[in-house]
Amino acid sequence: MRRLARLALAAYPHAHRERYGEEMAGLVEDRPVSAGDVLDLARGAAVAHLRPSSECPGPVSAADRLRLSAAGILGCWVAFAAAGFTFYKTTDGAAFTAAADAHSALSGAYLAIQIFAVLASAAVVIGAVPLILAALGERGSARAAIRRSLARAAGAILAFAGATAALVALAHDAGSWSEGAAVLVLTVWGLGGLACGAVCVAAARRGLFAANVPLGALRFALALGIFATAAMWAIALATAVYVVALSGLGISASGNGPAGLISVELSIVLALAAMVGAGALATVSSLRSLKALRGFAAA
Amino acid sequence: MRYISERSNDPGLLVLSSLAEGPKHGYAITQDVEEMAGVRLGPGTLYGALSRLEAKKLVEALSAEGRRRPYKITAEGARALEEELRSLERVVDAGLGRLQAAGVPA
Repeated sequence: MRRLARLALAAYPHAHRERYGEEMAGLVEDRPVSAGDVLDLARGAAVAHLRPSSECPGPVSAADRLRLSAAGILGCWVAFAAAGFTFYKTTDGAAFTAAADAHSALSGAYLAIQIFAVLASAAVVIGAVPLILAALGERGSARAAIRRSLARAAGAILAFAGATAALVALAHDAGSWSEGAAVLVLTVWGLGGLACGAVCVAAARRGLFAANVPLGALRFALALGIFATAAMWAIALATAVYVVALSGLGISASGNGPAGLISVELSIVLALAAMVGAGALATVSSLRSLKALRGFAAA
Repeated sequence: MRYISERSNDPGLLVLSSLAEGPKHGYAITQDVEEMAGVRLGPGTLYGALSRLEAKKLVEALSAEGRRRPYKITAEGARALEEELRSLERVVDAGLGRLQAAGVPA
């Protein structure tokens, strides 16, 4: 329970943790922690995110705001990519290929999704390179903490890559699996991917705060992050066009997910809602970074 | 023991009432509130209340003692607390009086 409480503490906004984090951690260590305490912390974190500035003295510095925005956009991209993968798996099949061949709106929207997905992924990776290089070049006392963060991220990626390789190897026998087993394995794999993404985002965030990252590298990363955010909206728009174009066809009503519980159309709409949510959060991060950059320019 | 949150009660009032006795850190406030009011303040509720009270300058943080940081009520906080308690006192008096007049045992 104490571990869950620490996790809930980590969900508080940066400014709140800077100001009250040590005290709250001390309180959690000093007394027995109940499930009610964990829920109370989770609710408190949500409230602190919704009403940050007036409640928490000690505003976030412009440099820290840039770090938070960079980590925030990365986190949004991971969530967006998970929603995008759901869309990809839902529309992966001969029936969808045939429908795309027959309807230009479907094929056009799908092509646009692929192009923007490649561009956004490239922007995220290219933007991260100078930050990773700056972190690796750190010579100060933060070197050990940065190495730990990088090792965690690398370990998570390796573990997920191993799980993916095992899944691909097992897929050769997938014909003998029951539908329930196949759905379970794919769900566990998907959750593993999300966990891997979460570990990487947390490691990136820790590394960004531990390293003495040059402002130029942060600006470069954020420029590409803003581009990736715009690409997320373009993908969401193309997905909306796809779902509208698909709605008149028979395959949109066919079953999808475990035991065909929901229709293909609803699956895509849910993925689209997740994309819009991640895109909206990335936009908030982008706007905050622009505000912080203006603060630097004014200074 | 009831578990209270910001939705169901006013933790700010409980925290100010606790600090009226003298400076206390978070853990001591929760202990005191449990003894005084019979309610358990969750850590998120407590520090949500403290941050709001601090932003309104009703409490003031003192120097940290290790991981613990004591808080003290300010003069403005004492005034606000007294005003709030007087208001509650009027409600309590009126309510009890009406119950008595109606013959309902309080």
